[in-house]
Amino acid sequence: MQKFLPSLVMAALSVALTGCLQSEQQDEKVVINKNPYPSTYKALPLQTTLIKNATVLTGTGTRMDNADVLMVDGKINKIGNNLIAEGAVEIDANGKWITPGIIDVHSHLGVYPSPSVESHSDGNEMSSPNTSEVWAEHSIWPQDPGFEAARAGGITTLQILPGSANLFGGRGVTLRNVPSHTMQGMKFPNAPYGLKMACGENPKRVYGSRKVLPSTRMGNMAGYRMAWADATEYKRAWEKYDTDYQAGKNPTAPERDIELDTLKGVLDGDILIHNHCYKAEEMAMMIDLGKEFNYHSGTFHHAIEAYKVADTLAENGNCAAMWPDWWGFKMEAYDMVHENVAIVDAVKNSCAVVHSDSSSTIQRLNQEAGKVMYRANENGFEITPELAITWITANAAQSLGLADETGSLENGKNADVVIWNQNPFSVYAQAEQVFVDGAKVYDRFDEKYQAKSDFLLGQR
Amino acid sequence: MKHFKVFKSSLIALALASSTASFAESFAITNATVHTVTEQGVLENATVVIENGKVIAINPETITADTIIDAEGKILTPGLIGSMNQLGLVEVGAVSKSRDASDKKADITFDASLAFNPRSTVIPYSRKGGITSNVVSPRGGDDMFKGQTFVADLSGEFDSVRASNKSVVIDLGSKSKGSRALSLQNLQFKLEDAVKELAKAKKKTNDAKDKKEAKEPSREAQVINALLAGEKALVAYADRATDLLFLLKLKKQFSLDMVFVGAADAVLIADKIAEAKVPVVMTALDNLPGSFDSLHSSLENAAKLTKAGVTVVLTVNGDTHNLYQLRFHAGNAIANGLSPDAALASVTANVAQAFNLDSGTISVGKTADLVLWSADPFELSTKVSQMWIGGKEYSTRSRQDALRDRYTTPSDMPKAYVK
Repeated sequence: MQKFLPSLVMAALSVALTGCLQSEQQDEKVVINKNPYPSTYKALPLQTTLIKNATVLTGTGTRMDNADVLMVDGKINKIGNNLIAEGAVEIDANGKWITPGIIDVHSHLGVYPSPSVESHSDGNEMSSPNTSEVWAEHSIWPQDPGFEAARAGGITTLQILPGSANLFGGRGVTLRNVPSHTMQGMKFPNAPYGLKMACGENPKRVYGSRKVLPSTRMGNMAGYRMAWADATEYKRAWEKYDTDYQAGKNPTAPERDIELDTLKGVLDGDILIHNHCYKAEEMAMMIDLGKEFNYHSGTFHHAIEAYKVADTLAENGNCAAMWPDWWGFKMEAYDMVHENVAIVDAVKNSCAVVHSDSSSTIQRLNQEAGKVMYRANENGFEITPELAITWITANAAQSLGLADETGSLENGKNADVVIWNQNPFSVYAQAEQVFVDGAKVYDRFDEKYQAKSDFLLGQR
Repeated sequence: MKHFKVFKSSLIALALASSTASFAESFAITNATVHTVTEQGVLENATVVIENGKVIAINPETITADTIIDAEGKILTPGLIGSMNQLGLVEVGAVSKSRDASDKKADITFDASLAFNPRSTVIPYSRKGGITSNVVSPRGGDDMFKGQTFVADLSGEFDSVRASNKSVVIDLGSKSKGSRALSLQNLQFKLEDAVKELAKAKKKTNDAKDKKEAKEPSREAQVINALLAGEKALVAYADRATDLLFLLKLKKQFSLDMVFVGAADAVLIADKIAEAKVPVVMTALDNLPGSFDSLHSSLENAAKLTKAGVTVVLTVNGDTHNLYQLRFHAGNAIANGLSPDAALASVTANVAQAFNLDSGTISVGKTADLVLWSADPFELSTKVSQMWIGGKEYSTRSRQDALRDRYTTPSDMPKAYVK
């Protein structure tokens, strides 16, 4: 009721100001809670830490040699040479490399966990082509041992997405890669939600086999357009409700629709699109679809053919999340080229991302990016480690709407940091220490910092 | 790479060559760092002479060859050997008519080599990984026997199947329907029954009074008999230690030639596997407990098994299209404790040993499947400089390169005109 009072005052004021003889008594305003499962994440115990004498890839395209990184209160405090910090824990990283924490924009950890038993197969609500109402966070099993393995590979932030069977698969959630026995304990505070969409073969195969729309690619497009048309009406109804209420009327709130809440969130700019979309012609259409319904078409995932539309992606501000070399498992994955990421990256204002979609390769995104760098350099590109690292750090953060929080080593940003035993783009590279918000969450040489999931505890 | 023509084939070379030597091209790779993957180890500044598809000399006193290739100190290894994938049997995973590795009705006699397509685009692509030959495994059907493996080189030529019906693949372990016990039991019964039949047949033949000609065993029985005779290996997919122990028991009882695939629990019984001399085909990167049969998966397992004396064969998990990554898997095994020499063996000599192939080492008389690397073969930054399959040089250029070139070549015309 407390919240009600100010709006009554507002209503009274607006009546007085407009001179409108509005005598209607207003019911309590219906407001949709946009964050009903809030993050309870807190940084692990942390100390002021100074890492000395490393080769630092900042994630902003810069490389610094013999540099020091100072982490204070969970933030990057300073990067430079010969830093001094009284009382700080000092780590000698001579000969080692430092990068921002690695970010995977496409993971199914927790929703398709290990062991992959029926009881845990919770990643894809394959019961309707539009399941915008489901949220991946409600499926996450935080005891998936894959989180630990990914942490040992330097992953500090990851987006968990629903699967790709549906045109609209539901909401994705971004997590901090810290151990917790609840989903909320891992949830990245205030990260925007993602909406998983899927182009191409998967939706038309899954629903085509059931003789319902979509069974074709034009059916896919029709399915998206019908849904966005509904969402547009839904948004309009809520806006009318808000406007009328604001005007002192006592309108009836539109009927709550959990599915359309998500789509409206996209139209409102609160939720980011993450679109499983392999092919050039489909990405071009999805960009236009966004324009048709006035939302941004976001990041294209598994964008095997992104190199064919690299200019279009950059012009429209789309990120493309790609593998270095997966191909051939489906027709839409047939035109893979090793240099895909590099070709996309070469365009001005581009946003090239390397992603995993795998509980195995998420442990080696550094190697995945490395493969692209070396193959591209064999074929005329001049990609440096300081550039390649952005594909799995800063650009990934941009894709997730977190560029101001993480993804680069800059003063004031979250102290998400990985210390590598050597150049991270070597097959022999290993993450030695991993920090999330300035707190050590993994140490290769100290069991104290090697978490173990409940599932593996006590097994023999 | 420059090719120098120096000498015409010498009398010695002619003498060594086979009867078709009149067309034989010989060449020598000089100044190479040769990883023989034999007891000879690594030979610096070494020369390898190839003729008629075979290695005919290593570090000869005088080099006699049509062509000399200066390796400029680079590393020369045996060509890497893939295994237990469906190379040449699948073009696109989800395109049903491009898949020939499985058939619901396939049984122990299933010979998928008849479907091998040397023109598959996966083959030149896989050459980028320095793969020169491959043990192809059928995926079979409902039967626990999935069919028989065959060996193909990666030349892309129509005659690239080197040998077919090499070994018998069986899928054991956990079942989503039913019990694993039944397939273990069935395997045991089949072997026992075959032994009894063979004894009966032998008795009949020996019995002079029996005028009737001994009935020829069925095709299925012939395959089982070949297993019992040690002519074919039993290649068994199984993970849990109890399954592996049961198989070791059968191996002993029936003197089987056996290979384990997967074998996630092998580390628990590494000594027993080493003692029984059963090679283990495994992936270096599996480290998650994918099931209750693989709670002990670890990136260190390849190193641990090798240390225990097990012959480890590394293979690429998942899709056949990823075969080219084999060397990177080996690199990761090195990062997790395997020695570089053992890692190289696990993708060359050990594969040859496990599957009885005439390749996998650089030694006189062996098939000349060779790869010259720009640097460390396992490093991400390294590429294949040159490669030879059966003594003939092949390119690593694939359809992917053509696509890249098309889309990175500026043109006023639509890309379709850029060829």
